[in-house]
Amino acid sequence: MKRDYADLRYIMNPRSVAIIGASPNPDKVGHVILQNYFDVGYSGKLFPVNNAYEGKILGLQTYKSVLDIKRSIDLAIIAIPAEHVSEVLEECGRAHVKGVIIISSGFAEVGEVKRQEEITRIADKYGMPVIGPNCLGVMDMRSRIDTMYLPTFKLDKPKIGSVSFASQSGAVGSLILDIISHEGFGLSKFISYGNAADVDETDILNYLAHDKDTKIIIFYLEGAKRGKEFIEVAKKATRIKPVIIIKGGRTEQGASAAHSHTAALAGSAEAYEAVFRQFGFVIANDLDELIAYAKIFDTQPLTTGNRIGMITNGGGMGVLATDALYKNGLRLAELSEESKKTLRKSMPPIVNIRLPLDIGGDADDKRFAAALDAVSNDPNVDALMVITLFQTPGADSRVASMLIHRSMEAKKPIIVVSPGGSYAQVHNDMMESSGVPVYDSEDLAAKSLRALIGYSKYRAGKV
Amino acid sequence: MSQLMDFMRAQELLRKYGINSARSSYVKSASEAVRFSGGKPIVMKVLSQKALHKSKSGLVKLKIYTEKDISSAFSYLSSRARALNLGNYKIIAQEMVESGTEIIIGGNVDQQFGKMILLGLGGVYVEIFKDVALRVCPISRYDARSMIQQLKSSGIIAPDVRRERMVESVLLKVSRMLVENDISELDLNPIILTGNGYTAVDLRIMK
Repeated sequence: MKRDYADLRYIMNPRSVAIIGASPNPDKVGHVILQNYFDVGYSGKLFPVNNAYEGKILGLQTYKSVLDIKRSIDLAIIAIPAEHVSEVLEECGRAHVKGVIIISSGFAEVGEVKRQEEITRIADKYGMPVIGPNCLGVMDMRSRIDTMYLPTFKLDKPKIGSVSFASQSGAVGSLILDIISHEGFGLSKFISYGNAADVDETDILNYLAHDKDTKIIIFYLEGAKRGKEFIEVAKKATRIKPVIIIKGGRTEQGASAAHSHTAALAGSAEAYEAVFRQFGFVIANDLDELIAYAKIFDTQPLTTGNRIGMITNGGGMGVLATDALYKNGLRLAELSEESKKTLRKSMPPIVNIRLPLDIGGDADDKRFAAALDAVSNDPNVDALMVITLFQTPGADSRVASMLIHRSMEAKKPIIVVSPGGSYAQVHNDMMESSGVPVYDSEDLAAKSLRALIGYSKYRAGKV
Repeated sequence: MSQLMDFMRAQELLRKYGINSARSSYVKSASEAVRFSGGKPIVMKVLSQKALHKSKSGLVKLKIYTEKDISSAFSYLSSRARALNLGNYKIIAQEMVESGTEIIIGGNVDQQFGKMILLGLGGVYVEIFKDVALRVCPISRYDARSMIQQLKSSGIIAPDVRRERMVESVLLKVSRMLVENDISELDLNPIILTGNGYTAVDLRIMK
């Protein structure tokens, strides 16, 4: 009997790892994987396995087979030619290995369906969770696991954080990892699951939903193999934490074969989108949105209200950002009389006391702070968008520093829009690495707020 | 292979779930149609498994009530059906429902996720604007409401709370019907929303 959902704990946090296909040749995948374990500072036991090599690899004793190790193995990584994989996997089963990752390609993706079915059969027989084949494997920033065969110098590694990322595609996976490493937020776990011969998207979503180190899930999905189970797991997962999803590989609908308008309008891509909407996913349409949304969910509290308090040190940018708000179904808040009174006292007479609050190009950190305090304390404001144009004479590092401090204490979401060149970028990096989401574009900023509010409403049961 | 359910049986099924549809009857002759009309305006249509776009194919005659018009409509529709080589076809007479906002509620089976329900602005606009919302069955009242809100045409379909509640409840009934029956495709298109009520005017159920 196949279990409901795979237990991936041993794969993500193993006390011992066998690397099958480990090689003394630095050009081989098996060598890079072993080397990476040293590079990331893994502290458990490592066992290189190679049936054609005697002696040590990177100072470690090599074994002919996992069966020869005679110790408990939590994770085996298989990186050998496809035709030998099932034989070795069978040995893993007999050796009571608790989880396997098959890096090797040459299965269903090249039409070798039988060979892949054999993998599924062996995994079922031993009740042993198997990730892959044809995948990059996993990365866990806390347990210091990295099964990827990509040389460390080619790919920047993200810092430790609470965003976990699952990807069917290895290429999209490594690309996004590379991008994430330049963002303010950090990574908890990465799972590339390839052909999903055994462990599939439903297993992974279930695992990440219940993983305590994961606050946010981002998912690159091409298709769900078990549609109904996927829905069951999704219903629970999105109630626990935000799941940001991007769908690749949209199939052409068979409109010509349809007997009704409904069938012609409800193709496969539409069905996926419907499922994502209905069960509370945050839908990203491209990689920019994916990263933008991860950023806001990682640091900002939920809010169901769409009344935005906007502060800017440049009038034109305030106009553009206001357009972006309304285009995305948000609106400017109406300031209360009390905060208007406060602002009249603290702002110079040139400042028009209404939203968007244009505090002028000469605004320094003190004026920014006074404006931010008044607007964020206003009960009519649900979330704040602060535009900091660092090109202006008043804005410098003290503005960034003030925003970092205020954002830490804030009860409402605060996001920053700060387009610009290298001077702006330095300050944007400062803010981002301290948990303030910063956006180059007002449109992406507005979309991110919309995503946050939409998900908050779903959680609250509001339409 | 999916099979078109007989119109009258489909209407029977709708009735069982409390879904209103227009009073209809098959007519084998012009005089049967005249009797059905009883002097009130009726609609006459050709029904066939092969004809999906009835109005585009000239297989519908609207708002006819004099004996003369009904007779000529009957012979026109018969010759049209023969000309289009529709094989097995039937002519149906229906009460003419006053005009109003037309919506579509539909259903189909997705191979991954199972039975799905669809809502959109209906009638002839459905394929032009493609303004539709889709959900997996069974749906909750929350889902029904969010389907309406998702549409660009939500202000047309549900301009007030009362209308919104009504459409929600029809969606919930259709969802139940889809779940409890062997239905592979469903079109209720259009459903005409008028004053306080609604009527499904055309229906198509594939088993």
